[in-house]
Formats: sequence, C-alpha cells, structure tokens
Amino acid sequence: MAEASRLNLPAAPNTGAKPRTVGRAEPVLVVRAVIIVFILLFWEAIAQSGLLYRDVVPSLLAIGAAIVKLLSAPDYYWHLWVTASEVGAGLIVGGLSGLLIGLALGGNRVLSKAFEPYLYYLGPTPKIIFFPVMIMWFGVGPGSKIAMGAISCFFPIALSTAAGMRQIDKVLIRVGQSFRASAWQMATKIYLPAMRHPIINGVRLGLGVAIIGTLLAETKLSNQGVGFLIIQAYSLFDMPRMYAMLIVLFVLAIGANALVGRLGGLSAIRQL
Amino acid sequence: MPSVATLPKSGAAGAQTAADAGILVVDGIVKQFDTPEGPLVAVDRVSLSVRPGEFLAVIGPSGCGKSTLFNVIGGLIDRYQGAVTVGGETVRGPHPAIGMVFQEESTFPWRTVIENVAFPLEIAGIARKERLEKAKRFIALVGLNGFENRYPAELSGGMRQRVAIARTLASEPKILLMDEPFASLDEQTRLLLGDKVLQIQQDLQQTTLLITHNITEAVQLADRILVMTYRPGRVKRMVEIDLPRPRSSDVVSSEAFGRYVAEIWSDLREEATRGMQDEESRTLHAGAAS
Repeated sequence: MAEASRLNLPAAPNTGAKPRTVGRAEPVLVVRAVIIVFILLFWEAIAQSGLLYRDVVPSLLAIGAAIVKLLSAPDYYWHLWVTASEVGAGLIVGGLSGLLIGLALGGNRVLSKAFEPYLYYLGPTPKIIFFPVMIMWFGVGPGSKIAMGAISCFFPIALSTAAGMRQIDKVLIRVGQSFRASAWQMATKIYLPAMRHPIINGVRLGLGVAIIGTLLAETKLSNQGVGFLIIQAYSLFDMPRMYAMLIVLFVLAIGANALVGRLGGLSAIRQL
Repeated sequence: MPSVATLPKSGAAGAQTAADAGILVVDGIVKQFDTPEGPLVAVDRVSLSVRPGEFLAVIGPSGCGKSTLFNVIGGLIDRYQGAVTVGGETVRGPHPAIGMVFQEESTFPWRTVIENVAFPLEIAGIARKERLEKAKRFIALVGLNGFENRYPAELSGGMRQRVAIARTLASEPKILLMDEPFASLDEQTRLLLGDKVLQIQQDLQQTTLLITHNITEAVQLADRILVMTYRPGRVKRMVEIDLPRPRSSDVVSSEAFGRYVAEIWSDLREEATRGMQDEESRTLHAGAAS
C-alpha cells in the first residue's frame, strides 16, 4: 500500500542536506524539466489518440480548465480547510503523544527494550485497518479522521524522538550538570535543542503519513473534506475534476513537506 | 602487581592533608567500579591540596583513574570513599566554586559563541543584557573577539575548545578543573593554547587543576605536578616545577624544562610500561576466551 511504502523509519535523518553546487544544479533542472514535459506530451498523446476511454485520460486542456474551476469555487476551500484542520489536529494529538512516549522510551532502557520492537513492527503497517474501530469510537465525523491522522503520525514521531534522545552527546548533559542546571533547564536548554533534528525529521515523516491517513479515511466514509470530494468526483465520473483535485493536493503536500523540511534545513547549518 | 614501593614515598605528597592551606582539598579518595571481571579500584587513596592561585597538574598513564578523579572532584560521580572540600565545604554534587572543562567537544552546536559562553550565566538567572556583556568580556579573554555570533561548526577545534574554556570561566569558578582540554588538538595548537591558558591563569590568578597525560603540557603550565601510578591510581610523587613566571611556550626550549620532562618521564615510564603490559595481557586473555 502507498502508506506502507511512504513510511520510512527514521534511520536516516539526512534530509536537509542537498548539495547546492551551481555547476551541477543546472543539468539536474534540465533533466527534471525534460522528464515533466515528456510525461505531459505522452499524456496528451494518449488523450488525443483515443486509445483509452476519452474520459479516463482527459486532455491537458480539460484538466487545466478543471483546476481553474476548482480553485475559483469557494466551496473547495471549505473542504480543504476541513481536511487541513483534521490533519493539523491529528498531528498535534499524535505528535505530542509520540513525543512523550518517545522521550520515555529514549530515557529508559527497560521501557525501550520492552516496547520499542512493537512500535517498529506496528509503524509500517497500514493504519487504515483501524478505521472501522475509529468510526465506532469517534463517530463518522471529523473525530475518526483526526484519530486516523493521529495514529499514523504517532509512530514515526515516537520512534525518531526515542532514537534522538539516545543519540544526545553525553558530554553536553555533563556540561549542564556541572553548571547545576535544574531539571527544567536541562530539558529545555539541552535535551530538546540537542534533539531538534530527529524531532523535526519525525514531524516531517509524521505529517506525510497523517495526510495519507486522514485522506484515506475521508475517501472511505465522510461527507466533507478533500478526500470526500475526490471520491465524489470519481463516483460521478468527473475525471477532469478528479485529476484537478489530485494535482492541487499533490502540490499542497509537496509545499507542506518543504515547509517542515525547511525548518529542519535552517537549523542544519548550525549543526556540527 | 602494585608493589609497596609505588606508594607515596616522599613527605611532600604525604603531607598534603586537610591541614594544608588548600582552597581545594582532596582527602583519601577511593573509587571502585564493578566490572564483569569483578571490582576494579580506579582511584586508591588519592589526596591532594590545591593552594589559592596555584596551577596544579595531575599526570598519569591511561588507566590511572585520572578522569575518575576529575569526575569525583567535579561532583559528577558519587559513592566513593574520602572527601572533597572546597574552602572547607564538602562537595556533594557539582559545586558552584568548581568550573569544569571537558576533554570532549562540549560546545552547544545550536548556540552561537556568545550564547555558549553566556550559558552558565543564563542558568544562574542573570538578565540577558548583563550576561551577554559579561560573556563578551570572557570571549575577549580567550582571544575570540569578532566570533561572538558564529556557530561552533564554523570554528576550528582549538577555537571551540577556547569557547568551552571561556564558558567555564564565565561562571567565575574559584577553581578551574580541566580534563585533558587539549587532547584532541594538534601539537602546535596545543602549545599556543597552552600559552593562552597560562596567560589567563596568570592574569586572573586563577586556581587551576589540570588533568593530563601530556608531560610537556604539564611542565609548561604547572607550578606542581602530581604523578599518579597505573591501576589502581595512587599518588606516586609530587614534583615542584621551579620555572620562572610569567611563563610562555618559549619555556619548552630551556634546559630546566628538559630536566623536568626527563625527571617526570622516568617516574611515568615505569607506570606506562606496566599499563601497556597489562593492556596486552588483558587483550590476550580476551582473545583466548572468545
């Protein structure tokens, strides 16, 4: 499933480190542009040839028009807001609980040995199997969607927090102790800043899977949100509208990921 | 096996007891660790006394319990026998009068130089403006003016270690306690940084206790050198270094310097040899066991 393949465990926190050599960036851009143009041409060729049903592969013009129509309808933004707030609430609930559990696991060897293997195995399993349970617990409204988002992002955030806590340079803790920092000062001035990279990386992974979990839940059972709109367009066989929504969603997801990645990237400069 | 002859032989070391006018008094420290092969005595009955304004170096081969002693005095290790007192006050946990500089890279990578140096003042609750001003003074003291707003990653290893020293000095400790602060630096940087430390120590009249395995470093910097034995770490000898002050790294070319180095090496050689043989036999046993 898409969800399983997207959930990379936080083994490699090497995200914000793209090489930025000018000499190499340009050929890469050219390759990218060529590939995109090629895909678009290929799509248009199939659309025009009539090899497939005309409605399954609509022409680029039709999709473009659908995008314009979609973005000029106020209705769409309301649904977008519903989904965004579900993802946001899921990220807050799942993220905070993931952070707390991660801190407990990272700080306690016994707890970590006892429970972390379960998190590792549960982490990559598709969370959509919990959706029926969530509907029964939280109803058919936004509650069950938020729950799906929260379950999805809990795992990567908990695991990378736990790993980050174990990777803290021990000497920095001794420095804090030698200056007689209080427990609160140790937590806020040493532990959290020392763990910022794994935590940001966990949030980035968590955001991705929270979006997936929420949208998947919306496509299954709901009457609002972007996932609902997509599945509605599909059942009305309005393909241009469906593709338009997929493309807009795609761009939004990239933007959200880039934003979180940028947060991590900025502080990467300050890392040793 | 440690023979009786390796115990403190001269009166100089033996007389260093609580009665001395030491600002820092270490009295009969014994620290034992539990290892898979049984209990290991890391530090055995070590006593020393640091006089106000003095630079005392503790030297010994690897495995003589130097770092254990450092952590005991710094209050980062507990459950030991004996006592550490600062100005008559017994040390239980990190003491405000003792400022530690660690061997490892210890600057906070997420803080700029000035924020690093201001860290102990921030912990003590000093207002931002005041602590940054004070931090600036200590940055100047270690010669890093102009680097206030750089991050540690932008500095060299020697500069980062100077930031760590400035940070500890900013807490204005009565006693500066350093554990091999130059261990990760190359020889030239080490000598130059030694100069810097000498100059600061002489300017501030800073009481300093340096733990090291480097003989030239110890002779270059210290007023007195305490030589420790290999496992268990005991006081072997106390050597007075009668080289003129103010001192700089030029002193390494003097004849007296060479004599002191040779003298300490003759003491240390025996211990280092014992340490090496012990390492070899343990590696051999470990190899045979597996």
